[in-house]
Amino acid sequence: MSTPSPAAGATREGPITPGLLSDIFYLMRRYPLGVAGAIIMSGFVFAAVFATWVAPLDPFTTNARASLAKPGGVYLMGADMMGRDVLSRLIHGARISLAVALGATLIGSGLGAAIGLACGYLGGWFDLIVQRITEVMQALPLLVMALVITASLGPSLQNTIIAIAIPLIPTVSRVIRSNVLSLREMPYVEAAKATGMSEWRIAIIHVLPNTLAPLIVLATAQLGSTILTEASLSFLGLGVPEPYPSWGRMLSESAAEYVRTAPWLVIYPGLVISLVVFGSNLLGDALRDALDPRQRD
Amino acid sequence: MLSYLIRRLLLMVLTLFGVSIAIFLLLRIVPGNIADILFDSAGLIDPAEKKKIVADLGLDLPLPLQYWQWISGLFRGDLGFSYVSEKPVIDEILPRIPITARLAALAMAFAICLGVPLGVISAVRQNSGLDYALRVVSLSGLSMPSFWLGLLILMLFVNAFGTIPIYDRNPATWGAWFTMLAVPAAAVGFRSSALIMRLTRSSMLEVLRQDYVRTAKSKGLSDNAVTYDHALRNAVLPVITTIGVETAFLFGGLIVTETVFNIPGVARFLVEAIRWRDYPMVQNLVMFIAVVVVTVNLIVDLAYMIVDPRIRYSE
Amino acid sequence: MATWLGRLALVLALCATSIAYAQKQGGTLRVTHRDNPPSASIHEEATISTDMPFMAVFNNLVIFDPDSPQNRPDRIVPDLATSWTLTNEGRTLTFQLRDGVKWHDGKPFSSADVKCTWDVVTGHVDGKMRKNPRKSWWFNIKDITVNGPREVTFHLNEPQPSLLVMMAGGFSPVYPCHVPASQMRTAPIGTGPFKFAEFKQNESIRLVRNPDYWKPGKPYIDAIEYTIIPSRATAILALVSGRYDLTLTGELSPENAKEIQAQVPQMDCIVQPSNTQGNLLINRDKPPFDDPRLRRVLGLSIDRRAFSEILSRGINKIGGAMLAPPEGLWGWSAEFMETVPGYGGDVEKSRDEGRKIMRELGYGPDKMMPLKVTTRNVASYRDSSVILIDHLKSVYIQGELEVLDSSVWYARLLRKDYAVGMNVQGTGIDDPDVQFFENYTCSSERNYTGYCNPELEKLYALQSRTTDFEARRKIVWDIDKKLQEDGARPVIYQSQGATCWWPHVKGLKMAVNSIYNHWRFDEAWIER
Repeated sequence: MSTPSPAAGATREGPITPGLLSDIFYLMRRYPLGVAGAIIMSGFVFAAVFATWVAPLDPFTTNARASLAKPGGVYLMGADMMGRDVLSRLIHGARISLAVALGATLIGSGLGAAIGLACGYLGGWFDLIVQRITEVMQALPLLVMALVITASLGPSLQNTIIAIAIPLIPTVSRVIRSNVLSLREMPYVEAAKATGMSEWRIAIIHVLPNTLAPLIVLATAQLGSTILTEASLSFLGLGVPEPYPSWGRMLSESAAEYVRTAPWLVIYPGLVISLVVFGSNLLGDALRDALDPRQRD
Repeated sequence: MLSYLIRRLLLMVLTLFGVSIAIFLLLRIVPGNIADILFDSAGLIDPAEKKKIVADLGLDLPLPLQYWQWISGLFRGDLGFSYVSEKPVIDEILPRIPITARLAALAMAFAICLGVPLGVISAVRQNSGLDYALRVVSLSGLSMPSFWLGLLILMLFVNAFGTIPIYDRNPATWGAWFTMLAVPAAAVGFRSSALIMRLTRSSMLEVLRQDYVRTAKSKGLSDNAVTYDHALRNAVLPVITTIGVETAFLFGGLIVTETVFNIPGVARFLVEAIRWRDYPMVQNLVMFIAVVVVTVNLIVDLAYMIVDPRIRYSE
Repeated sequence: MATWLGRLALVLALCATSIAYAQKQGGTLRVTHRDNPPSASIHEEATISTDMPFMAVFNNLVIFDPDSPQNRPDRIVPDLATSWTLTNEGRTLTFQLRDGVKWHDGKPFSSADVKCTWDVVTGHVDGKMRKNPRKSWWFNIKDITVNGPREVTFHLNEPQPSLLVMMAGGFSPVYPCHVPASQMRTAPIGTGPFKFAEFKQNESIRLVRNPDYWKPGKPYIDAIEYTIIPSRATAILALVSGRYDLTLTGELSPENAKEIQAQVPQMDCIVQPSNTQGNLLINRDKPPFDDPRLRRVLGLSIDRRAFSEILSRGINKIGGAMLAPPEGLWGWSAEFMETVPGYGGDVEKSRDEGRKIMRELGYGPDKMMPLKVTTRNVASYRDSSVILIDHLKSVYIQGELEVLDSSVWYARLLRKDYAVGMNVQGTGIDDPDVQFFENYTCSSERNYTGYCNPELEKLYALQSRTTDFEARRKIVWDIDKKLQEDGARPVIYQSQGATCWWPHVKGLKMAVNSIYNHWRFDEAWIER
């Protein structure tokens, strides 16, 4: 595997005019779906960061008169049973989803990468033991593991992040490990060894940067699945507790009861989850195309 | 090949041993036990009474002894008794397995029937409008929470037919049997079909670029013949991969789908058992799932070797 | 009042139809159930999940008159007992028992079974039950003696008019002496109109007709099948589609019932008190609520009408510990309620007062008092807590919700490891003895807050032995007022729940003040 070289794509596309704007145009032509994904994701991050200013109403204030208000007027996407604004709750819910997605992905990928790197590089007993543990973890379904972990830690934001992060570790560590193993056989690494460079320097200077690309691809791909797992956990009544407006919880029991009378309680949260995961998947695909030349078509 | 198989089987046993310890310990880290839950359901708080239940069920024994009791029983074929129903665990688990197995099989069948053809079309028509549309559809399949899809399907059924496909142990007709399982299977399988479609497409593309396909084309074989003869065979790999990747993941989808459609299978049952801290039930169910996952993975790896002789297993 | 009369008329109409039409034999009654019952043993459980499906397996000694729309002490009729007498100034209660009654396994029923049952539930004998949640009901029973197989006598410490009331409830079946407790939990044996057939964990419960039932020609229905559907949404859809005939009682919200009737206008639905109430558990032993001023502020911030509006569109009742009239027998009259602090109509005035106290304590809009509100991870608990936190804001309290898994909730209460807890609790029978002795005596198992007031305990005992209804109610009102003033367990709302059934189910009988006591189904039939 070689280092990523975006220029390789560029030469095929013809002359490039300098400047940021043209870069963007170029990207849009080359990866239209990826740009769409990036737009969706930036909207999501924007909503999460500026939720307090973006949301039209307070997401926690209950209002008896607005209970199950239809979409329109003050309540653009309607109101829930307690008269809380659905749109505002969705916008604030972006915070939860973003926190879980980022937190779990960073922790999961970070730990996974570190373990994978260590395994691939150190090998021996350490590798053997970690591999067996990884196999054990992979034999347990992800949601089951997350369920047991949230049950033992209790429902809270940080515990949800931990519960989702831990099952991510084996996948990441496996990919990174196999990557490191193949990198070690690369001529330039062998050459570096021959020059007497220390193992750790080789690991940091030559191996680590070259595993970054697959790591980023993997992490982006996982952003979406962490959001989905959080939604599933919340749907099952675990996960981030009330009154925080978690998207999964908004879809759970109480909303499902109003499939007929208040379908907006079912439709909008599901749409938002799907849209954001969709965006992250688009972005992940584009990144993979760009960063992982093996997969390019 | 034989030595590889033997090594894999040994590793499998090792993995399952690890799983048994992991789930045994995990369960005991979780705060609250069956006595708490039983007391909770009756609103009681007397610690002395609670201790009696704990002692009755042997929950106060040292952990290694509890573990030994479980594992040695397992080898004798005795899975113990459920704390909640007080019936043999095996009698609770066995009747529920076929329900979930049928659902999973239908979901996979649905995924393959939908995913492979669409993937092939997408690859053959690469970069056409159709390809883009199909790619977006498959990506959205990977983006939708399966419980939401389930809810949407329920919504559709209520509005269109005024009824919903709800599970019935003895359905009146074959048609009823089919809808009651096929609809939830579609909700679970949609995700897998999206994955199969993507993998089929990319593996097809890779093959279509291969020299031998170009050669075949240049030899004057028709486009279709080349596509189907050389390339479709390669759809087998993505299907196998998906089965391997998805067995563990599918289970999550099954949990929420069985909840939404009220199907009394093992997946939902496991969640309930965790909620009740029904240790014997959870331990044995998780072991069962682990055996399935590990076995499927082994079969998938063996299938790879048979389908694609280029793959050799040795370390 | 008008709505209550309407409901009464509905119940009466139901009774009338049972006379007007000939009952039909046969059919299976299909009922939705919300969750897996913890066990099949009614004496070991305190939930409608066990009570409703298994009540039809058993008989009581006495039972609330099914034809009375309200459970009342003066409307109790024979069941397994044919008659009863009170002697020794009300301290000796003797039952004459029915002849020729058989248990489902063919063994004859006798007075020994009655003695066995109450020996165990009073705690006099260890019956190997895992739990005994209603031990506090029977504290007054000194001894039980039998005189031949057809007569049994309860010897009491004090006269207690409520004893018969408690025996008439669905939670007081007679158990067979010869069947071990573990079997009663899994495959119970009774004398009732239906035999236990099957209980599949998290899936279904099936009862079949008892052909040898002692009421000749009854029951009419061949089998009753409960299907466990945890998702209320799915249950409603399945009911509407005609897959089920009846819902688990009180489990639907009034809003659900309205939605169901909008879709199926011929569906019968009844909205009635579900015998559960939302209340606050306040930790009076630890800061900050060891300060009575703060306890008072808490009470002043609550807008009970808003709770009722949001949770039930105003259908939930407002009252104290006892169920509000007209459904309840013992609740405050509207005029009396006005005299109880925190129950007045002007919420803003109360909150002004609360804010004043808070400012004196050094808090204000810029310096909110942080507070953790603890609750169980159950939807009804969480919903109430969200509203509570919203209301606390009005008196400068910044609430944060702490959601506990059900398994650790009571452990935390017991350790007194909470400041304020949002609690939802049920009571089986509309009766002051049940309410006070279960929840508010110093030594009760279910007195979670450890509220202990010896002065009030004397009053509990006084009302318990008072036989005159009006005089007793006066004492009950005063006790209830004192409990609310003390903030023992401030009651925020009394829930109402709905039960729906298709009109082809005939002969269902319900009382307006309890959901627990009318599920024997021996008069019901299916008309197709």
